[in-house]
Amino acid sequence: MSRFSLYEDEIHPSPWHHTWREFKSSHVALLGLAILLLYVFFAFFAPLVTPYDPLFQNTEAILVAPSWHPNGSISHLFGTDALGRDLFSRIMYGCRVTFGTSLLVVIIAMAVGVSIGTIAGMLSGVRSSVVNHLLDALMAIPTLLIAIIIVGILGSGLVNSMWAITLALIPQFVHHTRTFVRAEMKKDYIQASTLDGANRLQLFYYSILPNMIEMLVVQGTLALSIAVIDISALGFLNLGAQPPLPELGAILAAGLDVGYLSPWNIAIPGIAIFLMVLSITIVGDGLRSALRKRVNR
Amino acid sequence: MINILLRYTILFTLTLLALSALSFTLIYLFPAEPIINLTGITPQNDIQHDALIRQYRLDSAYLIQFWHYLEQLFSGNWGYSLLSGQPLKDEVLTALPATVELSAYAMLIVLVVGIPIGCYSGLRAYTNADFTINSLSVTVYSVPVFWLAVLFILTFSLQFGWLPLSGRLNLLFDIPNQTGFLFIDILLAEDVDTAVVIRDAFLHLILPTLSIACISTAAIIRVTRRSIIDVLNQPYITAAKARGLSNRQIFFRHVLRNALLPILPLMAMQITTLITNAMIVETLFSWPGIGNWLIQAIYQRDYSALRIGMLAVSTLVVIITIAIDLFNRLIDPSREKFESVTI
Amino acid sequence: MSFPSARQLLTVICLFSLAGCSPQKYSEKFQEGLVYCSESDPLSMNPQLDTSTTTADATAHQIYDRLLEFDTESGRIQPSLASQWSVSNDGLTYSFTLRTDVVFHSTPYFSPSRPFNASDVVFSFNRWRLQDHPYHRISGGYYPYFESLGLASNIADIRQLSSNQVEVVLKERDSSFLANIASDFSVILSAEYADFLMSMGTPEDLDELPIGTGPYQYSSYKKDHYIRYLANPSYWRGKPDGDALIFDITPKSSLRLAKLMTGECDAIAFPARVDHEIIREREDLVLAEKAGLNIGFWAFNTERPPFDNPDVRKALAYAIDKNTLIEAVYFDSATRARSLLPAASWAYQSDADDTGYNPVLARKLLDNAGVPPGFTMNVWAIPVERAYNPNAKKMAELIQNYLAEVEINVNIVSYDWTTFRRLLREGNHDSVLIGWSADNGDPDNFYRPLLSCDAIPSGTNRARWCNPAYDDILDRAIQTEDIEVRKALYLQANQLIFEKLPLVPIAHAYRYQAYRKELNGMIINPFGGVRLGGVTKSRD
Repeated sequence: MSRFSLYEDEIHPSPWHHTWREFKSSHVALLGLAILLLYVFFAFFAPLVTPYDPLFQNTEAILVAPSWHPNGSISHLFGTDALGRDLFSRIMYGCRVTFGTSLLVVIIAMAVGVSIGTIAGMLSGVRSSVVNHLLDALMAIPTLLIAIIIVGILGSGLVNSMWAITLALIPQFVHHTRTFVRAEMKKDYIQASTLDGANRLQLFYYSILPNMIEMLVVQGTLALSIAVIDISALGFLNLGAQPPLPELGAILAAGLDVGYLSPWNIAIPGIAIFLMVLSITIVGDGLRSALRKRVNR
Repeated sequence: MINILLRYTILFTLTLLALSALSFTLIYLFPAEPIINLTGITPQNDIQHDALIRQYRLDSAYLIQFWHYLEQLFSGNWGYSLLSGQPLKDEVLTALPATVELSAYAMLIVLVVGIPIGCYSGLRAYTNADFTINSLSVTVYSVPVFWLAVLFILTFSLQFGWLPLSGRLNLLFDIPNQTGFLFIDILLAEDVDTAVVIRDAFLHLILPTLSIACISTAAIIRVTRRSIIDVLNQPYITAAKARGLSNRQIFFRHVLRNALLPILPLMAMQITTLITNAMIVETLFSWPGIGNWLIQAIYQRDYSALRIGMLAVSTLVVIITIAIDLFNRLIDPSREKFESVTI
Repeated sequence: MSFPSARQLLTVICLFSLAGCSPQKYSEKFQEGLVYCSESDPLSMNPQLDTSTTTADATAHQIYDRLLEFDTESGRIQPSLASQWSVSNDGLTYSFTLRTDVVFHSTPYFSPSRPFNASDVVFSFNRWRLQDHPYHRISGGYYPYFESLGLASNIADIRQLSSNQVEVVLKERDSSFLANIASDFSVILSAEYADFLMSMGTPEDLDELPIGTGPYQYSSYKKDHYIRYLANPSYWRGKPDGDALIFDITPKSSLRLAKLMTGECDAIAFPARVDHEIIREREDLVLAEKAGLNIGFWAFNTERPPFDNPDVRKALAYAIDKNTLIEAVYFDSATRARSLLPAASWAYQSDADDTGYNPVLARKLLDNAGVPPGFTMNVWAIPVERAYNPNAKKMAELIQNYLAEVEINVNIVSYDWTTFRRLLREGNHDSVLIGWSADNGDPDNFYRPLLSCDAIPSGTNRARWCNPAYDDILDRAIQTEDIEVRKALYLQANQLIFEKLPLVPIAHAYRYQAYRKELNGMIINPFGGVRLGGVTKSRD
């Protein structure tokens, strides 16, 4: 305690405040958060910061080298692709598409997963056993397989790949929510609420949900990194986003075709995806260890 | 014990039934005609069309159709590929072993490399060595597998020219396909210089295996490390220290077992990731596995192949997952299944 | 603390990572055969059944021979299985004398009991010629090349005079006849094998387990992976150099180049235009180039409104800037196409009418034709590289941009190559970016398959355009041997094409072939599929 405080007893930092304080103490986590916020910024404000329309094809400037290269020009920071489109603008929009859709997918999957998970957690007996076991088995089916099936039914496209990834993420949330709700239901404060006459809905909303949010944030970051990798993998395999939509995986796949002449068309989209996943992972890790420290204190 | 086995058998059967039901539903969900999705045969005329419908009972009630579909699956009649015209059973049974082989070697590397490093890192928690290992594993964990594979190809195949990048074996070697597992096939084959061929097969294996293994290794290192740290904080470790046991004794008697048990289910989940990654990597290395086959099938809109491929892969994954789960339950009956372990 | 030490762990890791990393170039170890990286699966093992370059590459010059063939340099017709030939004065009767020292492949699934003779020629021709031939309906019953040229209906009779003499009688004069039977598709099959299969009850194997007289014999095929051939030890021109030939099927051009660089392929099909500089810079690779007899075009499905209106087609042609397309897609390795024929052809017209870039006129024409702003059409882009269009998807994206300027929305459609050809043949497209590589040097080989009425059912007329006046001009042109008369007729055809514009000619491209410098005898064949029979690999 560096400073004497007369009213010490009255300062009760909220749990969130507490977590933030722990999180802040790690420089790596802060750096990760900064990069992540940068991506969030691009996701929302890409049209304001990009110098060119990502679809604008300048056939005079095909495969221009990036600006730090001797042959590069400052007018195209990351150079251009095989159609003369500005790579910097495409990457910015790509972050918007990839990160934005991943975020959306995670939110939908979370909403659905938490609802099912809570119901499953509050259920008991044979019904719950069947639901749980089946879900666990389905959890094992690879995302790519689900995506292939959905693409087979609906055709390829970004929206269809989003459905696939949402479906694949839901079981994770169901599983964790169920485990969590199960554990909470045995605790005394739930008993107390039940004795107060709370019905199941009230029980969930007023007692369980507030305690669950931290678990959800941690699981959410984990799911977000998975979603980013999956969306870009499907784009890369040409099963997700279709040209000319700038999506990082699809940009990387297009870059492969000109990879010998302009390696930066492979390097830059790859680095963009990598940094995105890395920053999400670091922030997730930071949150988790902050939470752990707070609880252990 | 018997109770557990029984429960798992029921679970297994139910899951398989659900999966076959799903693959049966696909017949009606895919854009082409149901009879084509089911058989992979494009009828040339109305007579043949009607004959096929009768033969596969598509004119009867859905439940009867499904029952007949199950019969066909069990009798080995999986239909034909829409494009190549080959029986799907043959195609799947040649493609699946290639993927299993690739994933198995990758898993071996993951376990042999990941667990020791994870243990080391956990035991030296919060030292510089641990920090380095941890940041390295976080970094590798975040690399998209397809990009990693491309980087490997660019570096080791094109820049240095050390390693080949296509397929399981130089195509000039004609190894007859008997089991689908390449190394066994090579040993069974006659008239080949086994040493040369095995060396070639091994060289072909390195890059794809490493591309897949790296990411899962990083994940396993993180999980193992966390688990070791958690165990080391337990009171019984302190008690053991107080009793004067050596560190070696503590590690092998108490820490290792207790740390590895909870991460077993996570490893099972890692297998799913591994197989997904294998499927993606296969397309880059022209590996003749099930992933490559499925992705070709979707590009070519080969619906009958998709249906069977989906069933085959998901069955494989479910078998592995349930087996590991069962194993876990048997050696550690106290645990709730899939108890969450944090990283 | 003495936990397992870092050094022990490191040793284990090193053992794993070091194995196999000997500093030896991977490519140095295999020299017993030839690996050719091709771009797609062949549709059939018999080129009679399909006109695509992929099928021709994989079969025509590897497994089979023809009666006659083209000299790859001069384009002159020279003897092959027929050692000499003569034409009667009325131009209707052709007689061929056959070689007697040719044998068919001897494989695990068939061993021939007699050498090649006249009955094989008669069988091979009658299969596609006669509707009631027992083999005509096998494997689909479509012979697109022969149907699109009207060859089947023009042959009155084919007779076996003796065991090595064959006579073909035509109904009408056809100055392109010899060129047609020297093309990739006029292969000679074994009549004995056909009889054998018929007696076994598996006639469709004729096109799946092929038997020919070519330098290589079929061994095995795994879809999407490889085709394996073995050298034909008793090939009449002498056994090929290597023991085996592999077609490694690699759809991505960047991967093909990678395999060429590592030496996993000895030669690759269709090196991508962007990579040409890279290939030229490397000392171990060779990039050969030759002016190609081909045309890349944008065809409209003239059976579908509003594309049945010539004004709409013209408007769309005016909306695109062909020069930019050529620069961006072909990187200047092509010349602008004004009509169907490339400059290498003797009937080339250098001042043919051509559409310029004029988006204002385009919009006006569209308004007059009643095509509203915001109209959506699809452009199909071939999913494979072709000499005539090395990157159709890219071209489609450029066209998408141009058409946006005249307020037309474009959906780019692409499937896997096999599926693409099937759906295209069914006429599901609004417009398609595709092209044509000549099978022989005769102008008729461009005009007839691309736009004649007969070529609609056979699937080579992508515009599905049928104009009796046009067909009449073509018929008149092949009934004379007089070059000047033919030339004048083809000018009329050019004019008609310009007026109706069923397709927009875009470019005539050079053909390229990339291979490792150890290969000798790798020659670009401007008249169709790749020829690997005479290729040798030097062993140092």
